[in-house]
Amino acid sequence: MPSARRGVRAASGEGADPMDKEPASVRPVFPKSINFFRPVIGIALAAVPLYIVMLVYYGNSAEATRVGYEPDQPVAFSHALHAGRLGIDCRYCHTTVESASHAAIPPTETCMNCHANIRAASAKILPVRESHATGMPIEWVRVHDLPDFVYFDHSAHVRRGVGCISCHGRVDKMETVRQEKPLTMGWCLDCHRAPEAHLRPPELATKMDWVPNEDPFVLGKRLRDENHVNPSTDCTTCHR
Amino acid sequence: MSRSTAEAVPALDERIRGEPLVAGGETLASVTETVCAIVEKPRPPRAWYVAFGISAMLAGLLFAMIGYLLIEGTGVWGINVPVGWGFDITNFVFWVGIGHAGTLISAILFLFRQKWRTSINRFAEAMTIFAVLCAGLFPAIHVGRAWVEYWMFPIPNNLSMWPNFRSPLLWDVFAVSTYMIVSLLFWYMGMIPDLATLRDRARTRIRRFFYGLFSLGWRGSNRQWHRYERAYLLLAALATPLVLSVHSVVSFDFAVSQVPGWHTTIFPPYFVAGAIFGGFAMVLLLIVPSREWFGLKNLITMRHLENMTKIVLATGSMVGYAYLIEIFIAWYSGNSLERFTFMNRALGPYAWAFWTMVSCNVILPQLFWFKRFRRSIPAILLVAIGVNIGMWFERYVIIVTSLSRDFLPSSWGHFTPTWVDLCTLLGSFGLFFTLFLLFLRFLPIVAIAEVKSVMPEAKLDRDVHHGQGDYHGDIPRQHERQFGGPETNR
Amino acid sequence: MNERGGYWRSLGELAGTPAFRLKLEREFAEGAVDAPGAFTRRRFLQLMGASVALAGFSGCRWPKEKIVPYAHRPEGWVPGEALRFATSGELRGCARGLLATSVDGRPIKIDGNENDPIGRGASSAIDQASVLDLYDPDRTRTPIWREGRSERSVVWGDFLAWTEDLVRDLRATRGARLAFLSEPTGSECVARLRRRLAAELPEALWFEYDPLSMDHAREGLRIAFGKPLRAHLDLASAAIVFSLDADLLDDDPAALLHARELAAARRIEEGRTNRLYVVESVPCTTGAKADHRLSLPPRAIAPFALAVLHELVFAHELEAPDRLREILRAREASDPPARAFAKALAEDLAANRGRSAIAAGYRQPPAAHAAAHLMNDLLGNIGRTVAYTADPDPERPNHFDAIRSLAKELEAGRVETLVVLGGNPAYDAPADLGFADLLARVPHAVHLSSHRNETSLLAEWQIPRAHFLESWDLSRAHDGTLLARQPLIEPLYGGRTDAELLAVFLDGRAAASGHDLAREAFGAFVSGEADFEKSWRRLLHDGVLGGSARPKVDVSFQAGPTADSLEQISHIKDHAGENGLEAVFLRDASVHDGRFANNAWLQETPDPMTKLTWDNAALVGPSTARALGVETEDVVRLSINGRAIEIAAYVLPGVAAGTIALPLGYGRTRAGRVGNGDGFDVYPLRASGAPYFAFGAAIERTGRRYPLAATEEHHLIDPRATRERERRVGSLVREVEADEYLRNPAKAMHAEEVHHPPLVSLFPPHSYDGHRWGMAIDLDACTGCNACVVACQAENNIPVVGKKQVRNQREMHWIRIDRSFRGDPDSPEIVHQPVACVHCENAPCEQVCPVAATVHTSEGLNAMVYNRCIGTRYCSNNCPYKVRRFNFFNYRKNLEPVEKMAMNPEVTVRSRGVMEKCTFCVQRIEAARIVAKNENRPLRDGEIVPACAASCPARAIVFGDLNDPESRVAKLHGEARAYGMLAELNVRPRTAYLARVRNRNERLAKREKEGHEPIHG
Repeated sequence: MPSARRGVRAASGEGADPMDKEPASVRPVFPKSINFFRPVIGIALAAVPLYIVMLVYYGNSAEATRVGYEPDQPVAFSHALHAGRLGIDCRYCHTTVESASHAAIPPTETCMNCHANIRAASAKILPVRESHATGMPIEWVRVHDLPDFVYFDHSAHVRRGVGCISCHGRVDKMETVRQEKPLTMGWCLDCHRAPEAHLRPPELATKMDWVPNEDPFVLGKRLRDENHVNPSTDCTTCHR
Repeated sequence: MSRSTAEAVPALDERIRGEPLVAGGETLASVTETVCAIVEKPRPPRAWYVAFGISAMLAGLLFAMIGYLLIEGTGVWGINVPVGWGFDITNFVFWVGIGHAGTLISAILFLFRQKWRTSINRFAEAMTIFAVLCAGLFPAIHVGRAWVEYWMFPIPNNLSMWPNFRSPLLWDVFAVSTYMIVSLLFWYMGMIPDLATLRDRARTRIRRFFYGLFSLGWRGSNRQWHRYERAYLLLAALATPLVLSVHSVVSFDFAVSQVPGWHTTIFPPYFVAGAIFGGFAMVLLLIVPSREWFGLKNLITMRHLENMTKIVLATGSMVGYAYLIEIFIAWYSGNSLERFTFMNRALGPYAWAFWTMVSCNVILPQLFWFKRFRRSIPAILLVAIGVNIGMWFERYVIIVTSLSRDFLPSSWGHFTPTWVDLCTLLGSFGLFFTLFLLFLRFLPIVAIAEVKSVMPEAKLDRDVHHGQGDYHGDIPRQHERQFGGPETNR
Repeated sequence: MNERGGYWRSLGELAGTPAFRLKLEREFAEGAVDAPGAFTRRRFLQLMGASVALAGFSGCRWPKEKIVPYAHRPEGWVPGEALRFATSGELRGCARGLLATSVDGRPIKIDGNENDPIGRGASSAIDQASVLDLYDPDRTRTPIWREGRSERSVVWGDFLAWTEDLVRDLRATRGARLAFLSEPTGSECVARLRRRLAAELPEALWFEYDPLSMDHAREGLRIAFGKPLRAHLDLASAAIVFSLDADLLDDDPAALLHARELAAARRIEEGRTNRLYVVESVPCTTGAKADHRLSLPPRAIAPFALAVLHELVFAHELEAPDRLREILRAREASDPPARAFAKALAEDLAANRGRSAIAAGYRQPPAAHAAAHLMNDLLGNIGRTVAYTADPDPERPNHFDAIRSLAKELEAGRVETLVVLGGNPAYDAPADLGFADLLARVPHAVHLSSHRNETSLLAEWQIPRAHFLESWDLSRAHDGTLLARQPLIEPLYGGRTDAELLAVFLDGRAAASGHDLAREAFGAFVSGEADFEKSWRRLLHDGVLGGSARPKVDVSFQAGPTADSLEQISHIKDHAGENGLEAVFLRDASVHDGRFANNAWLQETPDPMTKLTWDNAALVGPSTARALGVETEDVVRLSINGRAIEIAAYVLPGVAAGTIALPLGYGRTRAGRVGNGDGFDVYPLRASGAPYFAFGAAIERTGRRYPLAATEEHHLIDPRATRERERRVGSLVREVEADEYLRNPAKAMHAEEVHHPPLVSLFPPHSYDGHRWGMAIDLDACTGCNACVVACQAENNIPVVGKKQVRNQREMHWIRIDRSFRGDPDSPEIVHQPVACVHCENAPCEQVCPVAATVHTSEGLNAMVYNRCIGTRYCSNNCPYKVRRFNFFNYRKNLEPVEKMAMNPEVTVRSRGVMEKCTFCVQRIEAARIVAKNENRPLRDGEIVPACAASCPARAIVFGDLNDPESRVAKLHGEARAYGMLAELNVRPRTAYLARVRNRNERLAKREKEGHEPIHG
């Protein structure tokens, strides 16, 4: 044996401690406590990558993107009733959706157009009547909330035949409005890259229960050509 | 005949090997003793405490500065438009450079069978780790929004965005982190046998526990040594290209851009040479006092120091050559912008920095042509310190002078460091030395096993086919057993 | 608790339920009386724990946002959409027709009104910045009543109450001991009320004062034509323009029109050229545009006019009355360069009779103006290139006489009640009057002022003055066109207009509102009740009443008086006098006379010539500076007959020898948080006798230094660098000689070509099937007036960083105007070059960004994505144009809510640590694109106009689609004059510059060509 190694062991052998008589080779190399630490270390090593994976997963999870967010509103307004059972068109209230970037939340007046006579006494619409009388606005809670550096334009989408439900889901089935889609950049890009699946004849954009009577992709392709739908994926399209 | 060969040995040594690598009649046992004693002593020399106190304070200062920076914004530095990088990147490149000597010594010199490396490689590797640590800090804090730095890494995300793989800055991230990991492995793996020695000598339970933990159950069995040396060889082979790659990539940050004074192909070799240059200077700077304090004069002999000074001289001259070539090309290319940049470096508002650089990096090391200086501790310290200053200014000159006067005279500017800049620089040294002093105190600062392997007692140095430490086959030297050899002669 | 993100609603309520609160209360109660049971304590802690934990959680939730729709939405109102209204601003008594953009009730942007006769859609830096004044947090918020030392914030009603007796007494005394001090104003409402005033309170005195009065011109006209007039130049049809110290392109009521017409008349591609001669003592934008510029000390300028006349009369036989010939006989310019200049100029003028325009600057004495008009008369320009209209207020005494006589009245104590309508006389009245003290002695002074400034402090009453975006009024433009002024927002602080306050002194409580006053005033312009409403609506829509400009008047030249006045000049020596330096008082391009001192945008706008921000300085020429041993940033003690101030010096090439120029309007003590203590107040040196020039100024160095923040030459540059600048500027800011260019355009351009190796790119070229946005900037049109700089700042929410940061080269302007000098430092040639991001095809910035925060779009924009940027600053380092700007700090941390109202919601507000730069106003591109798409039509050329181009008076900036061969920008890119700055780097800039044309008179030596050998890149 090359003596370098013997040297090492020799060194350890003559460890200046008079107490230990037994040769190094026989003495347990690890202190006993290690036996307890082994699994701990094992777990730690496994946990780190797991943690990273979980983090990435959580980042995309519904909870992080706030899918299912359903805050209480000051007025118990039911889209399910108005848009659903009564079948009022979205544009009756959200008048500017085709002409402007914001799909304006209607002024109290719009409610009163009907509720001046219908259910005028109902306690549910008390806040609405108040607002109408005092001129103080109703403070709705925002559900679909994009970051401030994102510039989304409703008219650009609705006019191209992207249906309301593509982003808002079946609002006509919601008692209180709920966020259905993740509204993440990746989600936007999916559609901007391949819009076919979400296209419909523009005039039907607000129709909640519309189903294509042919293969949606064939239709989508045709509509895309007809209405020159070529969504851009440039950053400047949404970020300015 | 056996006798005659036996007598021939020292003569042979004298002729071939020059003076012995381990002096003062150290024996295998005493080497262990000397090195382990440093760690086992109840308390280190007073000098250590003083040094540690100071560096710990500076390290604290560094973190205070970083905190201030993160709260206020990068505006607390002197940077501006046009000079978007100031001390931050200068320090980064400087520290990465320092981080080079270690791996070079332990890997490249190892492959070249330079036995004298054994007494210093542990130092150098430790230094590498800490230097790269300091280096890594700066890219991390120099950005405007440190909290979104993770965008630099290709992590799948719901923005479906990837980093820009065309950016040298991204290559940096990968290059430096790879280098960090490999150096760390290399350092740690080399330490395992010595940690085991410490474990076996340990008296207190805590020491036994921790050294036991980190020596990963090393027993010094043949198989272990076998695996160990294979792994060591492999890592060395793996680390060698990294030594060249890291600083080449770092130099791309500049070479790939088009700023006059940055945009040049000579940068990669020039940066690597400079890095080794600075790295060795730093090793010298660290080793000289340590061997004083911890009585390692026998293990780290004048011969070691001298060899290092020779490398410093060599690389220093390469750097000098690079400076000249740069200037020559600037003139020869006929590119008026380049020309102006270099005139401006040498004679403009930053001339002082330029000439500091030249005198420290090119002129000062020339002392080492003379044996007198190569063997004089004060001279070595002087040059070592000088080169470190010079190398810092090299990066400062490259970054700041080039940026401050680039293409449009209307946007020419000037960089003046703020107190935060200066404190951060100081602090980074603080961090570096703090870590290094801790290393000195708690880890085997000389590779015991490797040193032993180059001692005459090890009787490995006789066989010209074998470098130290490497191992061939399970039954070593059977040919010696068969045809007679030093061992059987005994 | 319920304020928290609804996601945790149920738990949140658990922590917020009454039960919980009850528990809390009981907990404490129990704790108070006896040892609390373990259970209650645990329960309590659990609940507290829950709520705390939730507090933590809610931290990483979205903030809960409210949507607050109208209860009654106004007709035709669309939330978040911009509305534009025609209105008008006013400066120096001349209104400017503007178009104000308002989003959700906040005016956020000002542009020129296409119908405005002067601006024609363009606007000045001051117009652009005026929106910031509206949101100035330092504006006075209530009327303030001062009694001795104590000041009380009161309400408008209190003031009315106070006026009641006053008005009664005034009626009795027919307005005795009542005096008004007004700024010049074109307001028709005020004019009407003044007529009433004269009728109902004939004893009341009316004074008008403007510290930057242009009455010398008025006087000159009175001399030349016997009555005060307004002169109007038609630069479009003038072949030769000669300015005697007149800054026609910037410091003139018609500057915007001049800039535009001068540029339009210089389109060399259409074979149109004109030649601009400027003789001036301090370089100004007009001097920078000049084809030939001569630096003369102020006192030598009027004599130079005589020298030119001399040449015209004797060398070119223009017939002039004998008396004039006598005066002019011995009036040759004494020093050789001036004589050569005069001869060449006279020759040009004589050769272009009826096709030249001559104007003198308002600083020049009346005689100089008379001389200018004499030339126009002799050359037969009158009626062709020069026209005259009646003065709106012929009886009015000159401003400086007016303020002097008011001072007399006050001194004599003949004024009981002084009403100061705007202005700031305590600060800007001539120093020899000691106006502040006099004002303090007035028993009842009322000051109508937006800020509590130097004057308001001394007044008994201060009434907040309404910003023009808060006011109703009718006002007249420079040429007399009637402009409407309508409010875009309720007065934020109950401000009143001049007219409204004036009305109070006539009618007390019964005073009509601004709206009614305006309608009354308009009644005089429409015939009959029938179509009043219609034309009123039309007026508010157009902002302008068509055809209401003042008619041109024919004039007959008064030889006699002119001769007399020229006689006076002829005694002045034209060479630098022995009596020391000569001081010139300048209007400051940023703060004007000091009124805009609290406007941060203007304070940070670099001066067109000095590039100074946040300060003024005493400007001296290089040779004079050398003689005096003064350097930039030296603090000097400057004294003029007795009065002295200390001021920092700034060495500016081109300032005439022996001249020291002093910009007015700085050193305010009561401007507000922005303006206080910026720069140095030079009014103390100004006497009512010599408001613009002062002889015998003496300078001594104090040895102290004062840091100035200029955006160029941030630091003193060594000779080598200076030479390098000189060498490079030729290829960066290219110039061609008109004659050479007309002979052979390509060859003329080649002179400045940069020789470079073949350009090859590592990356495949982009392909553009759709649009390809690009820009062209005509250096021959640009006057360096800064309108684009401020317009960009207003449009793109660009932060103000303050002097300290500017001094450290951290200014944020997305478009900057590089100014460079050439040739002899004492009379250099000056060029301006606007530089914004050029959106390179091979953008160096895009390649180095590690996180792809700056990328190329499919339409060739070099997009900067703020929300992706991590701030490595690598892109800025690698940008050869250095047009990228970095948020080193959070520059918006200390904005007050009212200041945030000025933000443009269409542009992201950048956070700290983020890079930003010119985006070609991508928000406007996207908006236009969406409109076009919704209307199913392609984008039209000129439909997208970036803020800079929209504001540019000279129309120097053109933006459009390079893929459309018919677009203006594509055509300009195709012209021979077009070149790419630093194109030799193969970055392939999207912005083409059109070389500047110098149309030289070959009689005058050509510019020496030094520093113009081709540069290799």
